[in-house]
Amino acid sequence: MYAQRAEPMRSARSPARLPWKKDIKRNGFLYLLYAPTLCYLVIFHYIPMFGVAIAFEDFNIRRGVFGSRWIGFDNFIDLFTGETFGLVMRNTVGMALLNLTIGFIAPILLALVLCEVRNKRFKRITQTITYMPFFVSTMVVCQLARFFLAREGGVTLLLSALGLPKQNWLANPNLPVFWLINCFTDIWQGTGYGSIVYVAAISAVNGDLHEAAAIDGAGRFRRIVSITIPSIKPMIIMMLTLRVGTVFMSGFDKILLLYMPRTYDVADVISTYTYRMAFGSSINYGLSAASGLFQSLVATALLLLSNAMNRRLTAYSLF
Amino acid sequence: MDGRALRVKAARRREGMVETRTPLGMLADIIIHAALVVVTLCCVVPVWHVMMASLSDGRRMLEVEGALMLPAGIKPNFAGYRLVFSNMAILKGYANTLLYVAAGPMFGMALNITAGYALSRESRLRVPLTLVTLFTTMFSGGLVPSYMVIHSLGWVGTRWALMIPGCTNAFFILLMMNAFKGVPQSSVEAARIDGAGHARAMLKVMLPQCVNLTTVVILNSVVLQWNSWFPASIYVTSSRDKWPLQLWIRQMVADNETALQMSSPDYNRLLIQYAVIVAATLPILAAFPFFQKRFEKGLLLGGVKE
Repeated sequence: MYAQRAEPMRSARSPARLPWKKDIKRNGFLYLLYAPTLCYLVIFHYIPMFGVAIAFEDFNIRRGVFGSRWIGFDNFIDLFTGETFGLVMRNTVGMALLNLTIGFIAPILLALVLCEVRNKRFKRITQTITYMPFFVSTMVVCQLARFFLAREGGVTLLLSALGLPKQNWLANPNLPVFWLINCFTDIWQGTGYGSIVYVAAISAVNGDLHEAAAIDGAGRFRRIVSITIPSIKPMIIMMLTLRVGTVFMSGFDKILLLYMPRTYDVADVISTYTYRMAFGSSINYGLSAASGLFQSLVATALLLLSNAMNRRLTAYSLF
Repeated sequence: MDGRALRVKAARRREGMVETRTPLGMLADIIIHAALVVVTLCCVVPVWHVMMASLSDGRRMLEVEGALMLPAGIKPNFAGYRLVFSNMAILKGYANTLLYVAAGPMFGMALNITAGYALSRESRLRVPLTLVTLFTTMFSGGLVPSYMVIHSLGWVGTRWALMIPGCTNAFFILLMMNAFKGVPQSSVEAARIDGAGHARAMLKVMLPQCVNLTTVVILNSVVLQWNSWFPASIYVTSSRDKWPLQLWIRQMVADNETALQMSSPDYNRLLIQYAVIVAATLPILAAFPFFQKRFEKGLLLGGVKE
């Protein structure tokens, strides 16, 4: 995800309040400019929000949202008591945590190492190449994963040199395998891209600090730990909170492409479960909408939580 | 001589590197460089492997273990590419992707620029409209309700379903808003006093001043559209003439798995899957150096603006 930060709303200067008539006269054109976007948002974002009503219905596509029978929370009871729900939750949380730890630290590490390189040209080339994979599509990344994790693939070969049995790793239904595959394909695709902002932040650290520390006898490693990392801490915290907010939404299409019936038990997450209930072989729209709503609520809660965290820790907030 | 030594020293001071080289420091340097070379290789090897595989002998590919450094086979074999570029379905997919990549982000940018501008100017509805935009990042109706909206618009099975619903999002709009906010107000006011209307101020005065962030938004929406396959897989499932290239990649691989189980497979067909991946990836990687500078600058503006 790209880094983005809206200006904090609270500090915006309060507008000189014009009476409505004058405001419309002066700013009417602005509202006209916003109108198409408003239509877009209403049609493709706000109207579907009313569709969550399906989650409380015994939905029948011929009767529509308003004609179907209202059954209250039955879909949710089915969802939470279903035999796969526990597994799905475990997988969702497990993969999210891996992404929040390994996946989060990787770009910072890369940036720290990159900034230790004195040869400008080497640094530049390395940086450019490492963020190229960001432009490789998810579909292709999944294909690459298939090639390299197959029985004769490069990664399988490397792993077998370490003593692990040769196999098609993607078909391995044991626990951490799929999770790690998911995590490492993410890392492959996003580490270089994610490190760009950290490299910029590290380059902006005051050189005098390093110089003073070096004169006092601090080695390179010591300076990284005591100067560089504390200096970029606000940025790390901001990126972390941004990531917490979106962690459950990510990875959907990759998992959809990489998992197979054999690995459903370790790979199924809420979003893929929602998808299969709506477009899979055993269709249950009500259940799908219920799990979609559940996911949306969790994501919203996380986003609000992370934003509150952000506000407290760094004085910046998304909203 | 003296001057040069001084310059070198000054340069090293700027870098914050004042210590003299020690054996341990040299070792650290070697480790750092080696680690970076390994990381770089990790990024290059998979892509290189596919490029080499696409030029290989189809039959030999079945026996290849690990990653290829050079094409397997005696000489480069272009059969895969010939098959890709003589396959009307894939060419159509290519054309479709180009259409979607041109049209989707164009619609999107029209919305991003107008809405971003409207939200960057002072007005009574500015805050409420910003909240209206922002709320869509937090809560979504989910898969089924969205499908039903597209269905009731009559867009299922049409190209509109692939171009319009995903053409923008709140992040892009807010990024453009921030871009416009970053333009010095004096230049806008000067233009307004000189008689420029909103439209002129927006397009002629402000937009040229936020090229970097605009590049980031355009590029992000282009990449998003170029890589998109999921909407196509649910909205135009059965009308293959509307499939984007990415969906054909999936199809080629599935076709190959069945083709391999036949008694006498056409080994060159196996190469299609590699060739089509190269065809779907190379254009965006090749175009990249041209906008790299602006892209990085814009990314930093969006990310670390203090």
